[in-house]
Amino acid sequence: MAKSAATISAPRKDRKFTWKEVKRQKVLLIIALIVFLYGILFYYLPLFGWATAFIQYKPKFGIFGSSFIGFDKFKFLFTNESIGFWRVMRNTFCMGALNLVTSTFMAVVFAILLNEIKPNLIKKPIQTVSYLPHFLSWIVVTGILHSALSSTGIVNEVLMALGVTDQAINFFAFPEYFWGIVAFANVWKETGWNAIIYLAAITSIDPTLYEAASIDGAGRWAKIKYITLPGIKPTFMILLLINVGNVLNAGFEVQYLLGNGLVKKVSETIDIFVLKWGISQNDFSLGTAAGIFKSAISILLIVLCNAWAKHAGEERLF
Amino acid sequence: MKKLVALLLVLAMAIACLTACGKSEDKPAETPAAETPAKETPAAETPAAETPAAETPAAETPAAEAPAAEEPVEVTNFTMFITMPGSEINSDNEIAEMIAQKWGVKVKETWLTGQTASEATGTLLASGQYPDFIDSDEMNMLVEADALVALDDYIDQYPEFRDEWFTPEEWDKFRQPDGHIYWINPFGNTMGKSKATTHNDEAFWLQVRVLEWAGYPQIETMDDYFDVIERYMAANPTMDDGTPNMAYTILCEDWRYFCLENAGQFLAGYPNDGSVIVNKSTMTIEDYNTSADTKAYFKKLNEEYQKGFVDPESFTQTYDEYIAKLSTGRVLGMVDQWWDFAYTVNDVFKTQGLDAKGCNYVPFGLTTEKGMVNRWHTYDDTVNQASGIAITTSCADPDKAFKFIVDCTMDQELHDLRFWGVKGVDYEVDADGLYYRTDAQRAQWADTSYQAAHRCQYSYFPQWHGTSRDGKNANKPEEQPSEFQNDMAEPLVKCFAAYGAGNYPDMIGSIQETNGPWFPMYSYSNNFTTETPGGLAWALMGETKHEWLPKVVMAADFEQGWADYMNAYNACNPQDFLAEMQEILDTFK
Repeated sequence: MAKSAATISAPRKDRKFTWKEVKRQKVLLIIALIVFLYGILFYYLPLFGWATAFIQYKPKFGIFGSSFIGFDKFKFLFTNESIGFWRVMRNTFCMGALNLVTSTFMAVVFAILLNEIKPNLIKKPIQTVSYLPHFLSWIVVTGILHSALSSTGIVNEVLMALGVTDQAINFFAFPEYFWGIVAFANVWKETGWNAIIYLAAITSIDPTLYEAASIDGAGRWAKIKYITLPGIKPTFMILLLINVGNVLNAGFEVQYLLGNGLVKKVSETIDIFVLKWGISQNDFSLGTAAGIFKSAISILLIVLCNAWAKHAGEERLF
Repeated sequence: MKKLVALLLVLAMAIACLTACGKSEDKPAETPAAETPAKETPAAETPAAETPAAETPAAETPAAEAPAAEEPVEVTNFTMFITMPGSEINSDNEIAEMIAQKWGVKVKETWLTGQTASEATGTLLASGQYPDFIDSDEMNMLVEADALVALDDYIDQYPEFRDEWFTPEEWDKFRQPDGHIYWINPFGNTMGKSKATTHNDEAFWLQVRVLEWAGYPQIETMDDYFDVIERYMAANPTMDDGTPNMAYTILCEDWRYFCLENAGQFLAGYPNDGSVIVNKSTMTIEDYNTSADTKAYFKKLNEEYQKGFVDPESFTQTYDEYIAKLSTGRVLGMVDQWWDFAYTVNDVFKTQGLDAKGCNYVPFGLTTEKGMVNRWHTYDDTVNQASGIAITTSCADPDKAFKFIVDCTMDQELHDLRFWGVKGVDYEVDADGLYYRTDAQRAQWADTSYQAAHRCQYSYFPQWHGTSRDGKNANKPEEQPSEFQNDMAEPLVKCFAAYGAGNYPDMIGSIQETNGPWFPMYSYSNNFTTETPGGLAWALMGETKHEWLPKVVMAADFEQGWADYMNAYNACNPQDFLAEMQEILDTFK
């Protein structure tokens, strides 16, 4: 995957723009045009909706009939402390970062461990089982979590049987556990799925490298360290860059379904905030303003990381 | 040639893409109700008063036979969304089918799942596609978006309905700023003599087995209440089958956190104005959140929590988990509204035989001090003008839709079918014309799978309490004296006898008086939006209370916890909210 990305992005300097060339690639260009139109239609045209953030939007009057208010909604968002926008930003960022780090780390470790298992009879079933949770919807996963972590759930029973605690812990009542629970849920659900791409990257490493290393006396550990890890590094970098842009998509369902009044201070993400103010309180403009701000930060994050990757001489997106 | 084909394909796809986006005008065509407006049927036009339900043979035909006859009525299918959780009935529900055959209307009800009421309403608005009928807690959002049909003209078409359902003053309460009426509250109307047997309001509930064990003591304050619970817990840590008893739980999910939040107003002896206290003598709005009674209430809860008598999962449980917990019969007491738990939980108790073990709840109207008058029970009809049934602009046949609302209200036969069921199947009629159920019928009526297959209450369409148009029976089975008596398990009967109470309202013993015309104030605050400072304050107060009240109850140091809560609360500018509520109250001076 990394390789093909590299070839596409490298411009071929020997070819000049000529009408003859355009004519020759007519069909290709038309096919590309469809995708281009699609992009315009579904990614760029909807951006007109952003206008909502600068007017006092009323469904009755529509975008053109509502009164213009400029940056009032942004001002309200950033300065009104009681609506807690910055707290929501912090929650989103921290949970997103935590999810990114834990899920990437677990996926890499899992892929390497799985790769070390040689017999396919064992390896394949493990792989299949491990990515099954990916296909469960969040409502099911949170349901499992909710009952597993309840006072009569398995976690508390194990803890009590081991004597770690003599009274059931009500996990969802403590803000300090919440991010951990969310990260755990993500890891449990997505590790197997995320590992697939790393497994594929490992497969594409030239086996002769391992053979040569064996002859030079490298053990398992050395082979992982000097061949496998460097081998999947380009994949790792590209995925990391893509995912950094997703950090602020820290989730909606998990936090929405697991949150409650007691942990609200740490559980609310931007998406929940947008739902709460935009849909529940019917302030579309405020919801849109929060959404725009989120997109702006995400773009900034990607650009910064890409610049860093470029500087460090690693694989990058653009 | 190949290229030409490719080009054509491309064009076709591009056009398809564009048209797919441009379609939104053909909305009505998609709604299932798009059939031609059916002529009103003669059957439905017969004034209900002339055909007492018991005598009409049509209603008695079991559903299975009814469709076989040639169809005299064109059935219109309507959809309805209600922003409350509920159970969907089967699509081939028998009574729904009978209603469709006779009144020509079948309503597919869908209920809230997982979301909050305002989220669901907001999502509908964002999509611009509405169900035909809607009953939402956020009516103002719908009006603001022009999503509802003004009902004034329709109401005037049915003068009998207009005059019987509400008084002109009551109708006026429903008028929106533009002068139109958009919805009709379906609840809280009593026909003829009141037959109320239940306390359909909030209370401190306690299981009868606890009272029986304690010898039916007088319980007037929170201290009395928790004293009995504590003693019972010490003597009976588990139920018969070994399930541990749970002293007290609190429902705190979303809008249902009233179970935690508003007991302070009642403890101080005020009626359920919901969001504020109205001081009648000075005609001023007071805030119960900061009152001494409320603080004392939370102090007591905090104390009980520290002693381990409050369910530690109170503040993290969902409504479903709460109902499941109550349904096991292990919870001794809680604060709640009758309608929020009793219909589900009492049916389960009956099917599981837990009612015979004394698991039913009876209400106590506690006050801060002994001997104060309590106003937990609302005797008058409460008109909540904040919500009700409405017809949306997506409805293709509002005439027929409104006709059905009127039929539900005015046609006793339809009303009986909804709440009593089918004669000979769900209830019997004795020699005096009084309806009753046999034990088997009662058990069957409480069975959830039977409810889905057979029972169809259209429970968010207008309905009556009190006496039926036949002058004898109760409109609702639970208000029929014989039904009420027979439906009660023995421990409950003994308990009522011990307290000298004939029914639930006697049990709670609230003072009988008429509430002011502003009552209930919550019907105004429910419609606040964040565009006014008061509305914003109201939203933020709700957020803050949601977060802090549990913390106050759990706080190791109550005084510190309360002080922190008060700081957070005052930061929401509650005075803005109170000022706007005062303005509303001033219009009644």
